[in-house]
Amino acid sequence: MQYLTALLPRITLKQALILGGASAPPLVGGAGVLAILLYLMAAGGTATPAPEQPIAFDHSVHAGDAAIPCEFCHRGVGSQAAATVPSVEQCMFCHSVVKTDSPQIQLLQAHWDTNTPVNWARVHRVPDHVRFVHAPHIQAGVACETCHGDVASMEEVKQVRSLAMGDCQGCHRENSASLDCATCHK
Amino acid sequence: MSSSANEAASRASAVSSMGQTIPTDAEVGHPEGVRWGMVVDLDRCTGCQACVVACQAENNIALNEEQRVLERRAKTWIRIERYWEGEFPNAKARFIPVLCQHCGNAPCETVCPVWATYHNNEGLNVQVYNRCIGTRFCANGCPYSVRYFNFWNPEWPEPMNNQLNPDVTVRTKGIIEKCTFCVQRINRVQVTAKTEGREIRSGEVQPACAQSCPTSALVFCDLNDPESAPAQLAEAEAGRSYTLLEHFGTDPGVIYLKKVDPHAEIHEDEHVHAGAHA
Repeated sequence: MQYLTALLPRITLKQALILGGASAPPLVGGAGVLAILLYLMAAGGTATPAPEQPIAFDHSVHAGDAAIPCEFCHRGVGSQAAATVPSVEQCMFCHSVVKTDSPQIQLLQAHWDTNTPVNWARVHRVPDHVRFVHAPHIQAGVACETCHGDVASMEEVKQVRSLAMGDCQGCHRENSASLDCATCHK
Repeated sequence: MSSSANEAASRASAVSSMGQTIPTDAEVGHPEGVRWGMVVDLDRCTGCQACVVACQAENNIALNEEQRVLERRAKTWIRIERYWEGEFPNAKARFIPVLCQHCGNAPCETVCPVWATYHNNEGLNVQVYNRCIGTRFCANGCPYSVRYFNFWNPEWPEPMNNQLNPDVTVRTKGIIEKCTFCVQRINRVQVTAKTEGREIRSGEVQPACAQSCPTSALVFCDLNDPESAPAQLAEAEAGRSYTLLEHFGTDPGVIYLKKVDPHAEIHEDEHVHAGAHA
């Protein structure tokens, strides 16, 4: 199914509804097939559900209510390829005193006590043949939410942009960034 | 730098059959900008193959088993060609490291039907693996035979499968691969320089082969920057230089230095014995 969605052109849900509404009545028999195709086109790549995380970390509390800047925890973002997920130690900077009675924090505490890392489920992943480096994007002043969406309001983080090649290229073109294949492909 | 680079720059814009204007070298970036290249001093090369091994490790090139070599399907992005001169006991071995020449007028680029290989504005002949459909036109067009086709999916024996370079794609069966001048290293340095808000320093970029060369026979440089590898580029200007098959007009980015031996006696019959055994 993912291969089919990759081949179809990307449209928004609104475009799918308009197209479906306009073309379905004359195609009574094929309307079902058309509806499925339009759904896939609208859903392609962007309808990624939020993966289940080992600890119910809530970004809306940290980045939203507490207004902690993204780079406070994702410390590699300004200087290296990976934004990096914080270590348990970094969580414990605060959570050795903050909300220690919460069952989720006790899960974290257990990791701390046993010296084991939290096996977070990865949300954003570009294909193996792509080299994405965060640092130059941050240097160029691209805001985190441009690609990651409004994480500050998400209880569970999920992917909101397709992050397919056309998606990257559109932004690169608008901002006069490099369109050379070797910039991203390795 | 060389006269061929200037010739390339003076080429007028050509118009393709599609009606699109094909930019000249000057328009796409060099010779004013960066043109990555290499100076290979053949008088220093001892044929030790350290570059071959380093390249193999850096670029996730599968191991060449004996059978693959016998089938002439072995892959080495850089290879040492060995030539014998004279008869035993007065024989001399001559070595020429041959890698992708990153030609300014590359015959491989024009024949690719899907634009999987193209020339970027830094003088690199880039191969985009996930665009390649494996027609092998480029490998047939390359006069240096430095493009390699993947006849099999690559495999590494345990535990060598754990030493793959994460910055380089593992190429699958059915596509062409070749020397990239370690584009991942160039990119890394460029990103570092950009992050630190400075220009790339001369000699900061080194591909695996040049880095591993014990006699510094391979020197990677920006051919347009005389400070990049001053001694080598000066020698290239001074007339000890040549490029491989330069009469083809490919404008290679790899320059070879070799002092012509005035005592070398060339006999007609020696040509029969001289030949590539690489």
